[in-house]
Amino acid sequence: MQKLIEVRNLNIAYGGAAGWTNVVQGVSFEIARGEAFGLVGESGCGKSTVAYRLLGYGTINSLVQTGEIIFDGTDLLKLGATALTRLRGDRIALVPQNPTTSLSPGMRVGTQVREMIATHRALPQGMTMEARIVELFALVGLPDVGHCYPHELSGGQQQRVTIAMAVACNPDLLVLDEPTTGLDVTTQRQIIQLLADLRARIGMAMLYVTHDLALLAQIADRVGVMYAGQLVEVAPCEELLSAPAHPYSRGLIASIPTTDGAERQGRGLRGVLRRDQMSTGCKFEPRCDFATTACRTMPQVLEPVTDARSVACMRWRDVVAPQAPVLVKRENKKIIGEPARLLSVADLNLSYGRPGLFDRLLGRTSPSVVRDIDLELYAGEVVALVGESGSGKSTIARAISGRLPPRTGIIRLDGAALAPALKDRSVEELRQIQYIFQNPDASLNPRRRIRSILERPIDHFGIKVDEKALESVLENVGLHAGYLDRFPEQLSGGERQRIAIARALLVNPKLLICDEILSALDVSVQARIVELLRSLKEKHAVAMLFISHDLAVVQEFADRVAVLYRGELMQLADIATLLDAPLHPYTEMLLEAAPGLRRDHYVSRPPAFPVSKAIPGVGCPLAGRCPRQVGSLCAETRPPVQVSDNGFIRCHLAADELATHASPADHSDFAGQVRSIS
Amino acid sequence: MSIFRLLASRILFSALTLLLVSILIFLILEALPGDVATRILGREATAKALEVLRSQLHLDQPALVRYFQWLGDFLRGDLGTSIATGRPIADVLGPRIVNTLLLSLFAFAIYLVLALIPAIIQAVNRGKMIDNVISVITLLLLSLPDFLLATILLFLFAVAVPILPALATISENSTWQEMLRAMVLPAVTLAIMMAVYAIRVLRDSLIEVLRSDYVRLAELKGLRPRAVLFRHALPNAIVPALNVTALNLGFLIGGVVIVERVFSYPGFGTLLIDALQLRDIPLIKATVMISAAVYVAANLAADVLAVLLQPRLRISR
Repeated sequence: MQKLIEVRNLNIAYGGAAGWTNVVQGVSFEIARGEAFGLVGESGCGKSTVAYRLLGYGTINSLVQTGEIIFDGTDLLKLGATALTRLRGDRIALVPQNPTTSLSPGMRVGTQVREMIATHRALPQGMTMEARIVELFALVGLPDVGHCYPHELSGGQQQRVTIAMAVACNPDLLVLDEPTTGLDVTTQRQIIQLLADLRARIGMAMLYVTHDLALLAQIADRVGVMYAGQLVEVAPCEELLSAPAHPYSRGLIASIPTTDGAERQGRGLRGVLRRDQMSTGCKFEPRCDFATTACRTMPQVLEPVTDARSVACMRWRDVVAPQAPVLVKRENKKIIGEPARLLSVADLNLSYGRPGLFDRLLGRTSPSVVRDIDLELYAGEVVALVGESGSGKSTIARAISGRLPPRTGIIRLDGAALAPALKDRSVEELRQIQYIFQNPDASLNPRRRIRSILERPIDHFGIKVDEKALESVLENVGLHAGYLDRFPEQLSGGERQRIAIARALLVNPKLLICDEILSALDVSVQARIVELLRSLKEKHAVAMLFISHDLAVVQEFADRVAVLYRGELMQLADIATLLDAPLHPYTEMLLEAAPGLRRDHYVSRPPAFPVSKAIPGVGCPLAGRCPRQVGSLCAETRPPVQVSDNGFIRCHLAADELATHASPADHSDFAGQVRSIS
Repeated sequence: MSIFRLLASRILFSALTLLLVSILIFLILEALPGDVATRILGREATAKALEVLRSQLHLDQPALVRYFQWLGDFLRGDLGTSIATGRPIADVLGPRIVNTLLLSLFAFAIYLVLALIPAIIQAVNRGKMIDNVISVITLLLLSLPDFLLATILLFLFAVAVPILPALATISENSTWQEMLRAMVLPAVTLAIMMAVYAIRVLRDSLIEVLRSDYVRLAELKGLRPRAVLFRHALPNAIVPALNVTALNLGFLIGGVVIVERVFSYPGFGTLLIDALQLRDIPLIKATVMISAAVYVAANLAADVLAVLLQPRLRISR
């Protein structure tokens, strides 16, 4: 195996107010020519810091203390600015995390690709620049979008542009920094598919940085697991996923939600990475289930245990020993008695923005972004609202919470119609619906202590509580009274989200609207917040409208799922039905795209009639993308709503027809996958 | 929203703004004590003579009629007659506007250089010595009133080291070299006064843009530092500074009045002061309307330029 790049004993520190902090310690690995190496870990583990160093890049306040990065016989860390500039983009290229902010907003995307080729004089002989750019776009599955500005493209298309740019000079190594994190499940799978395809065709090596092990399963040959700045395990991808040898790898894998319907309670990671509470020995010791007293004092270094595998744990033999699979098949909980209907949304149509002066003069109206939503929530029930970005999930939540008066439709709480606008709702109605936002960093006032953040809603609603109430609500969300005097910035992301949940719970609401509350959090933290929500649901009988783009997370505790696509409900079903027999083509697409823990050679099914797009509100929104479209009917007429046992399907095909066309990827596979690795 | 529609709506709003200004000016001047007829004929004029002149000037008609009359004339390009000189205002204003326009253009050119270069130096070397030095200098200049700065420059370059003329008097017979020399001091004064605001805004926005993901990607594409700065960073950083520039143009109109006065430059500003001192009401109306138009047009231009630099704005409402 020919080494392309080798990292040797890399140590990096960040300078801050309190002196230097080690963020990367003793990291060594190599990537062979044409190999895909994955670097995985939770946020703050130093994986991106390492990756950017491979491009010779570091932030101003970071310092490489020791180490070498040998590429082509030279040490990148000793290279001068000019030599680095020549190397970057040409031999080592980057695919950035967020394409929306990474493409220059004022420059046409074709110009941005051209710039890359021109700078490195990488135009193949006998080819015009224009032809090369079109060829590159075709390579990543884009039409000739060169004349477009970044904002005119979707997130997935933007990421394809950055990939086209990265491969423009045929680099030896592609550094990918969480390239699919901000994308929808289906888009994410297409990008992964594209990258695997490009690798097969061009044969470049990859360093793939991500927090998502399931994604690495699809693309990486070998994986390095990082914890607190150290590599704790390096192993071939399949081996790592089927038999993790480090307790941290093991916990990380257990935290991944999959759509197999299995419950894997109690095997996730506990605690969070606290750099201030680290023992002198193994860094993972405070969170480790296998820790002994020796672990506290004995530093663990990466040592080869087999030919291809290295682990930094002296107890790896115990860890890797197979355990009985903890698979509990989901019970179909029968609801006892007739539950009370809490929320009902009927015939909801929503649109943004009031028509402008010109529009009013011409009698034009803005199109509805959300059409004909009928939804009911029973007391104590969790309904998940699932869809891709832009499908209108949050818009519906805004309407229910009163921040967006609907164009038509009625929202009822406990049988009484709610006023469309927030300011017309009574204090009592406001109290009963509480909202938890996606990003706890932005939804908690950074200048207030937790105590005053929690007291605010109590004061506002005039609720009489004693000091005990604050403490008990903190206990309910898994924190303690010690947090009351802290500021939000002293808390981790997961703890902040717990505070946000506590704030909502304090006023004893009947309905919680959770708007993508897990997507900003690490997998291990996600798993624990899901635990928390599940216990809250059982203890307090609070109903939740749980908005998410991720079916895998949702299946862990939702009762029913509503699948939304471009502002229309495609399907409503209870979770077991949805996973076992999704029926609706769109739900099938979502389920197939969710990556399992084993390489599944996913190939997205091509749409049956790619050209026939429907006008919003006239045909089926899925027309033009649906693999099972029935001719022009779908684009031209509104699909009928077919009521089933516990929900409905909106499709032109009848339920039994949908069932007979078994999808290529059989869904029993998902359960099979996890069983085989446990 | 298409650029055309955006432009149309902005122009509409600009026209409305100017209409409001015209009403305001008319009302304010209307509220001033004394009338034009007394001003022209003097205090000793007979009641009869005043009567005749008033009807000649249509002063006996209601204010509303006179407003529309004035507005109509103004729109047709008839600015009226100056009371002080008795000459048509257009003839008085014309050369003065040309002079001020020349001065302003000169000042604006210097301003662009004075604003861009220090801001770029600061942003690229943020936190270093040179950044702090420039910050202190701009802060110092920011706190100087414009007439003081003008006087200091006058003292430095016309008295202490006499390389430039102290009086910026120019006439139609001046050669362009003479004009250029005469304009240096007033133009530099104006440019410095405008640039100190812009430097601060531009520095901050450039630092923010230099931290952005797209600048980092541009760097990691292997572009040379100069290409990263001028192609990716600067065009995006300049947008916040554009609004400051538009406000600066407004300042230019005010600043020109004072600076022209200090250097005795025969421009629009000196004319405005003269008109105010002489209570030459038609001339005041005309000059104020023209300043307002310049101000509104500058803001319009800044808005349009911002949209051109940021294609994203074209779709937002």
